[in-house]
Order: sequence, then structure tokens, then C-alpha cells
Amino acid sequence: MGLNYYQIKKNVLQARKLVIRGTSIAGSGHPGGSFSMAEIMGCIFYNHLKYDPKNPEWEGRDKLILSKGHASPGLFSNMAVAGYFEESQLDTLRQFGSKLQGHPDLKCPGVEFCGGSLGIGLSYSIGNALAAKLDQKDTHIFTVMGDGESDEGQVWEAAMTAAKYNVDNLTLILDRNFIQQDSYTEKIMPLDESLEDNELSEMWKDASRWKTGDKWRSFGWNVIEVDGHRIEQVSDAISRAKSVKGMPSIIIARTIKGKAVEHMEDNPQWHGKAPDPALVPIINQELDSQFMIAPSIIAGDMTNLKNEVKRCDDGRADYIHLDVMDGQFVPNSTFDYTKIKELRPLTVIPFDTHLMINEPVKQIQNYIDAGSDIITVHAEVCDESSFGEIHDLLKSNKVSVGLAINPDTSMPDWSKKFISTLDQIIIMSVVPGKSGQKYIENTHVKTKNLMINLKENDFTGYIEADGGVTLDNIGECFADGARAFVGGSAIIGQTDVRLVIREFRNQVLRIRRKLLIQKANELGGIELVNKWIDLHVVGKKKDELIQLATELGYQ
Amino acid sequence: MSTEFGDMRTAYGKTLIELGEQDKNIVVLGADTTDSLKTSGFGKQFPDRFFNVGIAEANLVSVAAGLAYSGKTSFASTYAIFLPGRCVDQIRNSIAYPSRGEKKGLNVKLVTSHGGLTVGADGGSHQTIEDIATMRVIPNMKVLIPADAIAVSKLTKSIAQTYGPFYMRMARSKVPTIYSDSQEFQIGKGITLRDGNDCTIAATGITVKMALDAAEKLQQNDISCRVIDCFTIKPIDKDILEKAARETGGIVTCEEHNILGGFGSTVSEVISELYPVPVRRIGAQDMFGESARDSEIPQLLEKHGITSINIEKNVMDIRSNQ
Repeated sequence: MGLNYYQIKKNVLQARKLVIRGTSIAGSGHPGGSFSMAEIMGCIFYNHLKYDPKNPEWEGRDKLILSKGHASPGLFSNMAVAGYFEESQLDTLRQFGSKLQGHPDLKCPGVEFCGGSLGIGLSYSIGNALAAKLDQKDTHIFTVMGDGESDEGQVWEAAMTAAKYNVDNLTLILDRNFIQQDSYTEKIMPLDESLEDNELSEMWKDASRWKTGDKWRSFGWNVIEVDGHRIEQVSDAISRAKSVKGMPSIIIARTIKGKAVEHMEDNPQWHGKAPDPALVPIINQELDSQFMIAPSIIAGDMTNLKNEVKRCDDGRADYIHLDVMDGQFVPNSTFDYTKIKELRPLTVIPFDTHLMINEPVKQIQNYIDAGSDIITVHAEVCDESSFGEIHDLLKSNKVSVGLAINPDTSMPDWSKKFISTLDQIIIMSVVPGKSGQKYIENTHVKTKNLMINLKENDFTGYIEADGGVTLDNIGECFADGARAFVGGSAIIGQTDVRLVIREFRNQVLRIRRKLLIQKANELGGIELVNKWIDLHVVGKKKDELIQLATELGYQ
Repeated sequence: MSTEFGDMRTAYGKTLIELGEQDKNIVVLGADTTDSLKTSGFGKQFPDRFFNVGIAEANLVSVAAGLAYSGKTSFASTYAIFLPGRCVDQIRNSIAYPSRGEKKGLNVKLVTSHGGLTVGADGGSHQTIEDIATMRVIPNMKVLIPADAIAVSKLTKSIAQTYGPFYMRMARSKVPTIYSDSQEFQIGKGITLRDGNDCTIAATGITVKMALDAAEKLQQNDISCRVIDCFTIKPIDKDILEKAARETGGIVTCEEHNILGGFGSTVSEVISELYPVPVRRIGAQDMFGESARDSEIPQLLEKHGITSINIEKNVMDIRSNQ
């Protein structure tokens, strides 16, 4: 089984947009905490939770308890995406007569807990877990709690109770976003240690200063710590937590409040404030602008691919691009599924397997079984029937579906019927076969034109730029519409992978910000540009934006 | 005639075991007072359905709520000073508030002991005189105060069979037996223990016996008092109170609780709206209690005027003003 990576990503994106839609219409609500737990909710909803949106009271369901009830938009949006109700229901959020109350409420079918008063959810979850044990049901309880919420003494009463009764059918996930209503958690009530000045970003990096896990361990809990915005880490942590028997498990997910919208990120102001409706189109464009950097390990030392995977892992790659070449579809050969199987245990980072092989339909199952999370096959060696078979097999195995086209190939006509469910399209910008080639310039035009066509056909997936992507052209690739970037020699060929990936990210961020400034200008001229820029109060973002705006002539 | 006494907690513990035998969905929770509350017997009989969460009342309430949400009938018990005293928010938000369709609140029964001043020696810190007030103002919550051990047994069974949140308060010490085993109790209906037309004494909990004693004395002076046991404070029996007001022209209320916000206030609210007549409230005089050994408890009660003599005085007072 794959990670369901792109599906989760797409759903999380849609959920984030619904949070913005709901809170901006309501004029109040809590987007910050909804966004910090967005990937956590995504992993729970689309990989782990058993439920039936058409039968919310289904006896065989698991239960999701949102203890940090103020983040209700983050729950309701996922319930809409999951099919409990229409997405348009979010327009009634917090309004008189709505089942979508300011805090989660049993009035809304599918909601399992009335949240709002903090510190209660874990005790309540334990009650549900104990009841499931009494009834010999395999119900699993997923509880999402806030870090500010951990100030409540009842949390620790509950922590002891769960350990006493060996409540192992409950997974607690702590959304450790470091911010509560008044300010940073470490200023208000330290969970790790007291914060000196405004050194939060430093603290974030220094694992030796994280003490929250120690607290829970000393209370008798199995503790797993992850980056809460990494789908692969969160999902893997949930699987591991569920497999531990005889003791309760907590996943401490380090997150960023307001994640995915720069002016909200790490900004205590966005704990409980709704976005200005005038800015919603800019925010939505920003949400659509998330991107992934994927090193291609064949550009490294082919004799020691294990080490290359490790370098990607250390370098915080979003996923690892695996070029499989069979010496027939392309002149070279690299490795096959046996190598992927060998590399799989080394990391939880998604494997983005790019099959440059003839007759992929014959081998697809091997690549699924080897542990691929995304599999892309070439349009040149598929037809409607064989791709249909591949598509369905991948989907049923929670592996994301990709289709690749060579520089001199266009999207085949038969691909049209798959476009709305395709997760990834690779537009090759070099002739496939070997790494180190130069980017073919007309790929920019090709990508732009294709984007128009794809949008008309309800494409919700991601365009991956593959071949000759460098620091110099990655910005333009992003502007074309690409959201995933494969880096061969430009990344894996460098000494410090982590540094290069950061440089790649910064380069994309720069162009992304420019495009957002342009969007603001389009919508409301310089006044709106300035209004939007002024929201960026944390760190140096504002200065950087002013400089970009000046370069664009908007200041 | 010698008075028989019964122990409320013993009756409660025994009834829970009976209920536990009949219904596998009954679960019992305690907070380090399970021997005292006599719930530990249930724990011995049904260890899987018994949870002692330690001295953590907030947790007690919310764990009970979770069990109830998953289909259990939860009985959570400890001393009244801590439950509800310690955890009104949890009671409100995790038990009374959650409602789906016709099910108003979750199916949790908060049954406490050591209500009121008769806690005695432990002192004012342990003598709760606010619980009726705090519980009755929470929507969906029902409030009961049985007058004797037989009422406790019967009402424990009734609340197990009636969906929704209940608060039921018992007394620490043994209390005089008023009822026979055949007495029926209907939640929301008062019981007229003695008929009369000159005045009404409406009482609850241990003060019911005082009301009966006072009525007996007053009868010797040819004053015929009606005595009503209002063991359900919420929903209050408006009919029986209105009828009493109409037919007897005045009501004296008695409770082992602050006269502010409690039973006397409840009666005043009803009477002032439906049929205004003079009302006198007997209860704790908006001041805290204090230590008193068992032999001294009558003195403590007397300090607050919670005595049959004071009931008599108040009846006379109402009559003299008519």
C-alpha cells in the first residue's frame, strides 16, 4: 500500500481553502490552529480513520475527538471534503441556525465531541476507548489536542488514567504549534522551556530543548515525535502508534500555526481572527502555490544509492525521485523494483518512481509492492486500456498516479478521460535517459499551454518539472505552473543537499511572492498590495516583500 | 415510637450491584472515595466496569461522559464538595451540553455523598451548600435529593432507567427512615406526606423529617400543615406547589443548602409566577459551615436555623401575617 500522498495533499489543500472560505464569511474563527493541524487531520481522515460519511453513526467506525475545539473549521472542512455534507455548508459556519457551530458540536452528524472548553477531550476519549474495550470492539480513538491546551491540569489527570488502564486503542496527537491565544506557548506557560526574547525559530531547530516528550514518557506513554506537516511522517507515526499495545501513545507533531499562508505562519495574531474577504483570492492562490523538491538519486553515486537516500532524508527532500530505466525505452539502464525494495526501509519520505520502461503495465504490481508512493509511467508506452489498468491498480493501492511525456510528445488524446483523477504529470524537459542534460527551453511554453488545457479538464494534480531544473530556471518553471521539481545533478550532485534544497525553496518562494504581489495589484492596485504586505509582521518577510514590490514598480 | 435509621450510601452501593447484574452497560466511576461511597462493592463484583481515576474529579466527569457517549450508563460518585464543586465546567460542557436529536445531554449520573452541613467534623471546607444552585441552572441537568435510604435505592434505579444527566445528592450520616419499601417515586413529582390546609412545609433531603416533626407539633396547636417531599428539585413539581399555595396560603421551605439559589429559591420562583403567597426559606444563611462532631451537628444546624422548631416558628410567622 502506498501513502495516498497526493490524494491527502489535494484534500488538505481543499480543506484549507474551505477554512478560509468559512471563516472569512463568518467574520471570525480560528484559521491558525486549523492550519497547523491540517496535515494531521488529512492523515487521520484519508489514511487511518474508519468512517462512513453517509452513515455517521455506523457501529464499526473509529472516533475522532477534536479536543482543541476552537480549530473546528479544520474539522468541518475535512468532513465536507470527506463527504459528510456539501462544501457550501462551510458558508454557514458560526451562523445562527447552522449545524456548524463555533466549536464542534453533536448537532452536526459525524462530530463525536462537543469541544470548546479545553482540556476535556483526552478524558472523554479515554471514556470512549474504555467503552470500546468493554464491548470488545476494534474502535480506535484519534484525539487531537493543542499545546496551549496542555496548560489544563485535567490533561495530566487524563494522562495518568490512560496509562493506568493501558488504553492502547487511543492515539493522541499533540499539535505542537508553539502558539496560544496570548502569545508563544513558551512565554505563557512553557512546555519545553522558557523562551528568551524571541528566539522561537532557534528553539524550533534545537531538538535537545524539546522537553514535552519527556513529560509524556514520564507519565507512562509511548512517545513519537514528528514534523506535523510531513504527511509521510505523521501517517507513519499513526501506524506505529497503533501497533504499540499495552500502553497509550502520543504523537508530538511539531507544527507551524497558520501553516501554508505566509502572513499567518508563526503569527499569534492568527489564533482567532478571520481573513479579510478582499484578500481571500490572494490567500487561495498562495495555497495553490505549495511546491515540492524531489532529488533524483541516479544523479548521485549509483554504487551507493543507500547513501544517496540518506542524503535526501537528511536534506529534507519532499520526496525522492527514482528513475527506473530498462535499457529499452531509453538507452541506459539504472535499477528495477528490487533496488527500490532494498531502499524502502531507509526512509519514510515518499518514493516518486518514474518508470522509463517498456510495457509498464506488466511490471506495475512489482513497483507497488516495492513501496512506491507515486508511480509515473510514460504516455509513449501506454494506451487507453493499459493506462486504465495501471491507473485503477495504483488508485486501489493508494499509490498516486503519474503520466509522463517526453519533450517531443504531447498529451495523447486518450489521456483526456484520466485527467481529472491524475495526480501528477511529468513534462520532461530533457530527453530521458541520462542525468546532467540542459533544460530544453521550449518546455516553458509547452507547460503553460498544457496548464490551460488541463484546467479545462478539471485537473487537480501536480505538474512535475523533470530534467535540467536548476536554481536559474526553477522560478520560471514555477511560474509556468509546475509545483514539483526534480533535481538531479543540481541537487544530489552537490555536497550539501540540505543547503541546496533550501536554496531551491527560497528561489521558488521569491517568484511565488512576486506572483502574489502581482495578484494583489490586479485585484486592488497598490492599496491592496500594501495591505497584504503589511500583514507579514513576523520575521523579515515584510522587508523582502517591499523590496520585491519595489522591483515590480508597485511602491 | 423509636425511629429507624438507614444509610444512604449503603443503599446506593447495594442498588448499583443489582443494576450491574441486570444491565451490562452500567459502569461505575470513582475518585479515591469508593469505599466511602460504597461503590467499591460494585468494583469487586464487576472489576471491568469499575474505574477509579484517583483524586481527579474533572477527569472523572469527562471519562464518564466518554463512556456514556459510547453507549454506557455511567454512575460517577464522590463527595459533593468536589463533584460538582470542583468541576462545574466539565459537567456543563462534557455531560449536560452534548445533545443529539432527542437525546439531551449524555447519560451520566452524578451521585454524591456528604452534601450539606451534616458532613460535620470535616468542617466548612467540606460542607457543600452550593450544589443545588450550580446544578439546577445547567440546562438538561436534573437534580434529586432523596430523603432517606429507601428513596435512594428507588431513585438510583429510576435514574438508571431514565436517559440523561442527573445530579443526586446524599447525606453522610445515617438518616431517619420515612418511607416504606412499597413507596413509589416519580421523577418530577413531589410526594405529599401529610395533608393540611393551614400552611405548607416543602422540604427536601434530610429536612423532610424535620418538616414532619414540625407538622406533628403544630397539629397539637390545631394548625394543620401540609408536608411535601420535593425530592426532585429539577424538574420541580409546579402543580403540587401551586395547589399547596392555593389551598394553604403559605409555604415554608427547608433545605440543607444555602437559601440563595437552592430549593427555597426554586419554590419562590414557581410560586411568585403561578400563585403568589408568603414564602419563608429555611436553610444555610448565606454563610459557610464549620466543624461539628456528630453529637454537635444539631448545634451547627441550629446556628443556621435548620431545625423543626424554626420551621414551626416560620409557619406561625406566615399565619400571623395573614
